[in-house]
Amino acid sequence: MINVSKFAYLPGEHEAEKASNSYLMSLIAFIAGLPLPIINLIATLIFYLGNRKGTYFVRWHCTQALLSQLSVLFINSFGFWWTISIIFTDEIITDKYIAYIITALIFNLTEFIATIYTAVQTRKGIHVEWWFYGNLTNLICKSES
Amino acid sequence: MVVLWQSDEFNLQIRIMKKIIIQGLSIIVLFFASWFVLLQINWVAIFKIEKITDKTEEKLGELFWEIFQKTEIENVNPFVVSSVDSIVTKICSANKIDRELIKIHILNKDDINAFALPSGHIIVYSGLILNSDNQDELSGVICHEIAHIQLNHVMKKLVKEVGLSVLISMTTGNGGSEIIKETAKLLSSSAFDRNLEKEADIKAVDYLVKASINPEPFANFLYKLSDQENEATKYLTWISTHPESKERAEYIIEYSRDKKISYKAILTNDTWGKIKEKLRE
Repeated sequence: MINVSKFAYLPGEHEAEKASNSYLMSLIAFIAGLPLPIINLIATLIFYLGNRKGTYFVRWHCTQALLSQLSVLFINSFGFWWTISIIFTDEIITDKYIAYIITALIFNLTEFIATIYTAVQTRKGIHVEWWFYGNLTNLICKSES
Repeated sequence: MVVLWQSDEFNLQIRIMKKIIIQGLSIIVLFFASWFVLLQINWVAIFKIEKITDKTEEKLGELFWEIFQKTEIENVNPFVVSSVDSIVTKICSANKIDRELIKIHILNKDDINAFALPSGHIIVYSGLILNSDNQDELSGVICHEIAHIQLNHVMKKLVKEVGLSVLISMTTGNGGSEIIKETAKLLSSSAFDRNLEKEADIKAVDYLVKASINPEPFANFLYKLSDQENEATKYLTWISTHPESKERAEYIIEYSRDKKISYKAILTNDTWGKIKEKLRE
């Protein structure tokens, strides 16, 4: 799922820190804005916009962090509104709902662990590409040279 | 040479795109597959969600009924009770509703009111029976309350307005008697929200038609009582707690229009007259 590969160049200390921060940003926002799934997306988006003109390594990891948030956003938003409808309307708790919440939890947890791992690795200057998101980032984020 | 290089580049791009699409799809498939696998487990039973609510409902029903039993006078006249019972039995058997589930009680009170409590208790005030022009009107109201029970509206309303934790604490004896009284009052004197009322009305029409009872008198009952000039206005709890009675009467008529079949009375006119007599005593 997670692939450590060689980046086009060896990133400097400062770059590695910034790139790592983009993952940390989503983690912090994830904890702070737990009930509202949109918060961590907004946080990574702000960080992405701030580093749009950064170096290739920083841009690349900001993009991967942002993209990885998108899919969890869909899963969590659906779960969030489902929960709201159970609390405030006639919807009741069903097997379907509980199974969905558990699936969402598993996906969130996987993402959470992967994010921590990536944050640690990028801090060391190691380039980590995720399954699917890594390729997608390669497609979107091009080196300027 | 340049053309060749460009087509190679293009092929590479296509291959990467394909890879991304396959990987993306596999994540989506993985998500739905895990959801599907988890769906095979009966979570509701594992977390005992239904059991908790069932037991709570049973206890709450008893608690609330005890309060009404203490504060009001129950009519235990065997003639009245058995006659109303026979209406309920007919409705239940025609609609395959477990008769044991519905526990109907008649209270001597002038208010025109009827309401459902948790666990299948239905309370009908004598004022409502006395103000019904015929047995079909009463049957309509009973069907409406049975519909609330069958559609689980009572517990939904309680959970929404009081909260499940408070309800459970009531049944375990931790809730103060004041809270229980207030909650009982909530059930007797406030309506469900509009959608639930409409749902119960429509279901009531289905019950009535299946039991060969004309649904029109039920609509008439609403029309009649929504009339402000009616002398019974001051006792109109059932109508004031059930807003837009005219509108309800209209959609009941509309819904039952194409359901015309032959209707049969459950009680004889004599019996109906006698019930009223006994209630006036």
